[in-house]
Amino acid sequence: MSSDVILVIVVATALAFDFTNGFHDTANVVATSISTGAARPQVAIGFASLLNFIGAFISISVAATVAKDVVDAEVITPTIVFAGLIGAIAWNLVTWYFGLPSSSSHALIGGVVGSAVAAAGLDAVLAEGLVGKVLIPAVVAPIVAFLVAGLAIGLSYRVVGKQRPGIVTRGYRYGQIVSSGLLALAHGTNDAQKTMGVITLALIAGGKLGAEADPPTWVIVASATAIALGTYSGGWRIIKTTGTRIIKMDAAQGFSAQGAGAAVILASTHFGFPLSTTHVINGGVMGSGAAKRLSAVRWGVAGNIVVAWVLTLPAAAAIGALTYGVTRIFGTGALGPVLVTLMALSLVVAAFARRARQGAPVEAASA
Amino acid sequence: MIATIVQWKEMWQTVVASVGAGVGITFAFSVGIWGSGQFIELSRGDRQGAATAAGIVALLAFVAVAAAVIVGILVMTQK
Repeated sequence: MSSDVILVIVVATALAFDFTNGFHDTANVVATSISTGAARPQVAIGFASLLNFIGAFISISVAATVAKDVVDAEVITPTIVFAGLIGAIAWNLVTWYFGLPSSSSHALIGGVVGSAVAAAGLDAVLAEGLVGKVLIPAVVAPIVAFLVAGLAIGLSYRVVGKQRPGIVTRGYRYGQIVSSGLLALAHGTNDAQKTMGVITLALIAGGKLGAEADPPTWVIVASATAIALGTYSGGWRIIKTTGTRIIKMDAAQGFSAQGAGAAVILASTHFGFPLSTTHVINGGVMGSGAAKRLSAVRWGVAGNIVVAWVLTLPAAAAIGALTYGVTRIFGTGALGPVLVTLMALSLVVAAFARRARQGAPVEAASA
Repeated sequence: MIATIVQWKEMWQTVVASVGAGVGITFAFSVGIWGSGQFIELSRGDRQGAATAAGIVALLAFVAVAAAVIVGILVMTQK
């Protein structure tokens, strides 16, 4: 009975994380379209959330990686997964609060790894999967997006350089409808699968699924819905950072950044690499800016983002480990997760109330 | 140790697919915009033959973009 209660809490927490993932990552998908005037904010966000939902059904390769290749499912318990999720949600909220586009995906994986190490030691971590499928792609993907976007915008300027600016801008704005749609689809398929993977891991740990099971259909549908709702709710603070503070971009740059991001994420998803969509799209944005003029990129802002990226895995791991320690104070039953959930909800409400009082979203929306 | 952990084949295929799709689609779309611009300019200048050729180039480029997007999504659903 107690383990079922914990499983219900884990699933609810995972879906809450999925919601915050969509909420946090809305910026990655729509910021460039909004900042270049290709789409009005509400239209762009509605379109992105719909394609997020559809994208979640495309593949389960990433879910399999998260469920089976990062931590040892034999030693994982639902409480460990719960603590990892709390670590990820807490880090997402901190970075959202300060307007930093850090990685929800790395927060999730960091949180689960941290709580697993706290519970079962380093043996709980599958180093091969963590390094080969998470850490190395985490470094390579934004660099590839940077290079692809840079190369693409360089070629584009050569092709359309002598055309009238009006038709070029209009053309790329239309193109951004397609490229932002592809990016939303890519985001949905890669990021929703991480939640599917974590819920599947918890169900395996709780004895509800076999060790090699794929995510059940209800998990796929619930994850797709949560991330789509989160995306629709939007994160204006990060839209402002991604859309205008890294570079001031034109429609061609927006198109190449989104195209590069979508290509990298979709290709990686196909091979089961749980990438950070945040890292990739920011790599694309910087690449499209740097190819035009190195000084066009506001490297100070970019540097802050890189710092947030570097901190994400260890910070989420530390919070995950701490959360696991706190839940264990109350024993192995459901009391610990219930109390931690109540504390987490209180912090979430306090953070949102404080931000609402500051009125930042309205300011960002008009940027 | 790292060399044995990294899935080089998958990584390499990911990089090649990303570069091919990202650069290729953007290039093709840019050719489409160029062709559209030329079509409008040449039509105004009463050079119908050249305008038609530019229009065909634009059309082929946009069809190539659409085809690449569809193929990419189909490949995703195959695994």
